[in-house]
Amino acid sequence: MAKSSSSDAQALIRSLRSAYAATPTNLKIIDLYVVYAITTAVIQIVYMGIVGSFPFNSFLSGILSCVGTAVLAVCLRIQVNKENKEFKDLSPERAFADFVLCNLVLHLVIMNFLG
Amino acid sequence: MAKPFPTLAIPLFLLSVVSLLSLRCGAFSADRPTDRRLLVLVDDLAIRSSHSLYFSTLQSRGYDLDFKLADDPSLALSRYGQYLYDGLLLFSPSVQRFGGSLDLAGILDFVDAGHDLILAADSSASDLIREIATECGVDFDEAISFQDPAALVIDHTSYAVSETEGDHTLIASDIFIESTTILGDEKIEAPVLFRGIGHSLNAANSLVLKVLSASPAAYSANPATKLSSPPSLTGSAISLVSIVQARNNARVLITGSLDMFSNRFLKSGVQKAGSSIKNEKSGNQQFLTEISKWVFHERGHLKAINVRHHKVGETNEPSIYRINDDLEYSVEIYEWSGSSWKPYVVDDVQVQFYMMSPYVLKTLSTDKKGLYSTSFKVPDVYGVFQFKVEYERLGYTSLSLSKQIPVRPFRHNEYERFITTAFPYYGASFSTMAAFFIFTVVYLYNK
Repeated sequence: MAKSSSSDAQALIRSLRSAYAATPTNLKIIDLYVVYAITTAVIQIVYMGIVGSFPFNSFLSGILSCVGTAVLAVCLRIQVNKENKEFKDLSPERAFADFVLCNLVLHLVIMNFLG
Repeated sequence: MAKPFPTLAIPLFLLSVVSLLSLRCGAFSADRPTDRRLLVLVDDLAIRSSHSLYFSTLQSRGYDLDFKLADDPSLALSRYGQYLYDGLLLFSPSVQRFGGSLDLAGILDFVDAGHDLILAADSSASDLIREIATECGVDFDEAISFQDPAALVIDHTSYAVSETEGDHTLIASDIFIESTTILGDEKIEAPVLFRGIGHSLNAANSLVLKVLSASPAAYSANPATKLSSPPSLTGSAISLVSIVQARNNARVLITGSLDMFSNRFLKSGVQKAGSSIKNEKSGNQQFLTEISKWVFHERGHLKAINVRHHKVGETNEPSIYRINDDLEYSVEIYEWSGSSWKPYVVDDVQVQFYMMSPYVLKTLSTDKKGLYSTSFKVPDVYGVFQFKVEYERLGYTSLSLSKQIPVRPFRHNEYERFITTAFPYYGASFSTMAAFFIFTVVYLYNK
């Protein structure tokens, strides 16, 4: 039983890897960016757990910048992915322009809230 | 005859006005706390001569004594709202009712107004005198019955050896309170002669002190009758001479022996039973002189002036402090020496920075000229604080100073511009921006 479940897990991972290798490069770049943003967020949370939440506004602003850009990047990925039927009519340039504008607003807010 | 009269009238009038004015300046005031005018109420004017030695020691120190009979119908302590005397000596133990406008309430108001009182009773003490003593916190031993004379203090181990007195009611006591403020710097070598009634102190009263107590073998009973039950007042609970310093710094001396002040006791020698030391002169004169000095504010009277506080580096007094400010507090304390104000030098005056409980408690350091100062940091709490100095020491007037000052938190532009603990968050936000920029470049220009 254990042998079969571990071999099942290995088969699952192998199939995930091969499927992922087939994705287009630009989507992989977006994924990397999202992973970076979330990692930065996790590091900040661990730091706050150690030191305490004294300048809470700075903490929130740091977390928001990471989580916000991650969310916007995910939205971009959804809109740009050719396999999504919903966004067939949306040009990738338009999606990218939205992404850039939203990020500008996000970073403006963060700079103000950072203290 | 008639002619020179009008020419003399004007200078005479001016002279009387000037002398009246100078009399007024000689009175008790906050600047000169020693009393000046004392009213002595006596049962009969023979006390004036039989206790003349004590009165002359008072007069030689500059007091004006006014002798009146206790039931004199012209007695008055105050006229038109102003007190005529600064101190009262009640040497009239058997008075039932005071004459004139004086009564128990009048005497208590006199003490409440900050004036001093010496009360001497003896075995013929009336209810009025006992009531005055009870109001001051001292309970004279109750008379056994109204037919018997009041009980005297009897001590079979420390009575004064004498040829005439055999019932041991004349006691020689040397159990004094330990205080140089109250009893002077010199130790009283000879015991003090005492004959009269004893009193006990109310245990709940924290303002009354025993100055001269009876030995543990003393008891209070009628010497003539046989004791049917153990006496109620015995041992060291009996106080022979007590003092009260009221919260308004009025001082009261209560004792159960008018004879203690008499010339006979002041001049006589004393030998305590069981001891071989024979003193030429009893300790009465030294004891009474020193304690009268204390009662009439010639010693142990403090004043605290010039309370100042300011931020370190500035001289003006701000109306509000900010948390974590450094501030300095200073006060000047002087002691009255009988004729002038001398600097008071001790090392245990403390100041509290108080809001419901002291956040800061610091001992003030002195520059030996009466200036006490210290500096400390305002605590990290905001609210309305008080600088409190509460100083109560045995024999000294109590100092209770308090000055209110608010403390505010930081204004929003008084915080440091960049908080060190928030650097990771700053770094994270800027790195996200940089990552976004790099991402756009890579995303647009990859193949």
